Amino acid sequence: MVDKEGHRRWWKPVHWVKVRRFVQAIALLAFIVLFVWSRRGGWPAGVVNAPMRLDPLAMLGHLLASRTFLAGSALALIIVGLTLLLGRVWCGWLCPLGTLLDWIPLRKWDNRQPEISSKWRSTKYGLLLTLLTAAVFTNLTLLVFDPLTILFRTLSTALWPAVDQIVTGAETMLYGIPFLQSAVGAFDRLVRPVALPIEPALYRYTFLYAGVFLGVLALNLVAPRFWCRYLCPLGALLGLLSKFSLVQRTVTDRCTQCNVCARACPTGTIDRQKDYASDPGECTMCLECLAACPADAISFPVRIPRPDWNAYDPNRRHLLASLGASLAGVGLFQSNLLSSRDHSHLIRPPGARENGLLHKCIRCGECNRACPTSAIQPAVVEAGLEGLWTPVLVPRAGYCDYSCNACGQVCPVQAIPPLSLDEKRERVIGKAYIDENRCIAWADATDCIVCEEMCPVPEKAIVLEEVEVPTSDGELVTVQRPRVVRERCIGCGICEYKCPVNGEAAIRVFVPSDECGVEWF
Amino acid sequence: MTDYSRRKFLYRAAASLGALTGGWLLTGCGKEETPTQIAATATPHPTATLPLGAKEPASVTPLPASATPAATPAPSAAASPASSLSRPELVVARGGDPEEMVRQALTALGGMERFVTRGDDVIVKPNICVAYHTYEYAATTNPWVVGALVRLALEAGARRVRVMDYPFGGSAEQAYVKSGIEEQVKKAGGQMEVMTKFKFVDADIPAGVDLQRCKIYDDVLKADVVIDVPIAKHHGLARLTLGMKNLMGVIYDRPAMHRNLGQRLADLSSRVQPTLTVVDAVRMLMNHGPTGGNLDDVKQVDTVIASGDLVAADSFAATLFDLHPEDLAYVKAGASMGLGRSDLDALKIEEITVGG
Repeated sequence: MVDKEGHRRWWKPVHWVKVRRFVQAIALLAFIVLFVWSRRGGWPAGVVNAPMRLDPLAMLGHLLASRTFLAGSALALIIVGLTLLLGRVWCGWLCPLGTLLDWIPLRKWDNRQPEISSKWRSTKYGLLLTLLTAAVFTNLTLLVFDPLTILFRTLSTALWPAVDQIVTGAETMLYGIPFLQSAVGAFDRLVRPVALPIEPALYRYTFLYAGVFLGVLALNLVAPRFWCRYLCPLGALLGLLSKFSLVQRTVTDRCTQCNVCARACPTGTIDRQKDYASDPGECTMCLECLAACPADAISFPVRIPRPDWNAYDPNRRHLLASLGASLAGVGLFQSNLLSSRDHSHLIRPPGARENGLLHKCIRCGECNRACPTSAIQPAVVEAGLEGLWTPVLVPRAGYCDYSCNACGQVCPVQAIPPLSLDEKRERVIGKAYIDENRCIAWADATDCIVCEEMCPVPEKAIVLEEVEVPTSDGELVTVQRPRVVRERCIGCGICEYKCPVNGEAAIRVFVPSDECGVEWF
Repeated sequence: MTDYSRRKFLYRAAASLGALTGGWLLTGCGKEETPTQIAATATPHPTATLPLGAKEPASVTPLPASATPAATPAPSAAASPASSLSRPELVVARGGDPEEMVRQALTALGGMERFVTRGDDVIVKPNICVAYHTYEYAATTNPWVVGALVRLALEAGARRVRVMDYPFGGSAEQAYVKSGIEEQVKKAGGQMEVMTKFKFVDADIPAGVDLQRCKIYDDVLKADVVIDVPIAKHHGLARLTLGMKNLMGVIYDRPAMHRNLGQRLADLSSRVQPTLTVVDAVRMLMNHGPTGGNLDDVKQVDTVIASGDLVAADSFAATLFDLHPEDLAYVKAGASMGLGRSDLDALKIEEITVGG
């Protein structure tokens, strides 16, 4: 390309697009690497939870709902500053979910031009305003729509476990071939326990988590980056900030109205009716238009922003509607039975119950990932809709490891308090109860004692009592029966996890009943 | 990239998948033959009454190369057969630094060369059952005892020495560090290996009375020498966990073992057959085992028991807790299966005192 003075230009606009794609790939890679090493034993907690603390929506929501400011969440100001300077570069250049949506456009299956009214763009603003007003009423449920939490949860509860299963299956199969055994062993030492777990990580409702993610991807069939255009509440927040950004896209009078830029724009914000101008609140600064323009008519100058309000942008009516929606939602949640009386198996990570988890948890799923036994899982039924995807300990999936305090360390907002290992070991998260109808020592009159053996409490919260009982043949036998010493039990759940009775364990952890489960504000 | 069409890709994918499944089927079928035959002919008491500790391959592999005579009468000393008659069958070392006790006990037993020959692949199996406490709490084997064995095995010419266990509480990596064993093993030149799921392979236990088949760690089955290094401690069901109980760490389905535990442990021992057993009784956990966590339950007795006979080592260790060997169901079962001897009075025992 030759510029006005006739010099050969080595830097062409298309190079900007290449730089952006490179940055996107690096950012996605960094996100995944941090995800992989957020398992306990990986990198320091302050490093691995950095992406969540970069997220202005989650941090603002937490600030409003918990009414506490955490120094760590100031990291989000980097993204706020970047947005005020350059617009929605987070969405176009950094967001890992956005990158995946770019990489999996699904346009080959549906070549129609999207015919969606731009009115629908206000959906995301509605979501944002409802989220923020609900946060003022201490509710953070809508953060399940935050793009980072969606991606992180999908990775930890669906994608990674599935990858692990496939790798284990392949390893087991290839290990059967004698000459491959040492190679398989070497490969395994390479990936385990660094990237994949030794014990398979098993999650409930994996199809649900995967389904949400696939749904977001599938919306690309309707329009490219459908999620970012119409739904993403983080995009909405950054969009509002972008109206005031210093660098904004402008079209010069060299424009020949060829419509190439409008077709190249992945968010469809370039408007033919407005002389191919775009809305800075919708523009992700991806620079595809710059590269596509044959007339060199697009520039991104620095200038004092003059915010322009569109029909779909939030107005007073939206705000009032959101306020009404969040009030109604909070009212319904409060009148739900679950908010006054816990589900019997709503076992929270150590210290989280008494810490007011519901008003602090940003649903990011860092604790799910950090938990080395996969005991911490996103709640689907136990905590009701209000507590959707907040952490719940599922002892049949894993136990709270007596040598671990990773969840509290990794939580970016201290919804799970950062307890020292000694503090955590004494924190009661539940109480174990024996089901005498099914316990081997009663039902089969046979010794088992696995629960007693596993109990990590130094004095043993499960003790054995020798009793003489008749078998079905009437013969007297001595059996060691387990008994839970309630005041020693911390509810770690290793007894339930290891109980050899198939299906539901014969010893189960229930929520502690000697304290009120709900906190009023 | 356009010439690499979808059709081509699918063809290649199908071909490689076919090759893989073909290979798998071929090897899979070959493997399936032997177990079913053995299972069909498995009798409760076959001739495999091999005394533990004889310098025999630790695993009974179907390969003809390793199928050395199974009924060696007494521990046949590979290094110096002349002095084998005067040699003790069990050595108890007392009163010194753990490393020195191991070293002197092994010397009294005839040297590590009696158990490890040049080029052997050695696996040391300590008890690293939980990642909860440091070694002072006596829930895991003393790190210096493990380190000394690694060093002795390497001095005897072992090709490599690996140390492994599969903790039931906490992860292996953490347990290895917390117990202090990783540090001592690495210092001694050995390797810590994290046991991985797919290496637990179905293995037949031809001599098994109650347990004829279970998933055992393949490397343990294939190793030339397995050294069993339990810590002597309390256990609710087995009363004590010692050498035979420690072997539970190499199998996958442990809850299944708890029914008829004593016999099943003996059955498992008949298959794994450690060449050497060293019971760490430097610190013994007297109560609230196997997990521990209270220093008041720990009794320091500064003792190490070494023997080629697993049953004998466990029998002697039982006496440290004022128990009779036959009080332990697995010792009783092991002795009756001929895996070793529990008649301590008839056993040639050497007790040595190591200067502190």
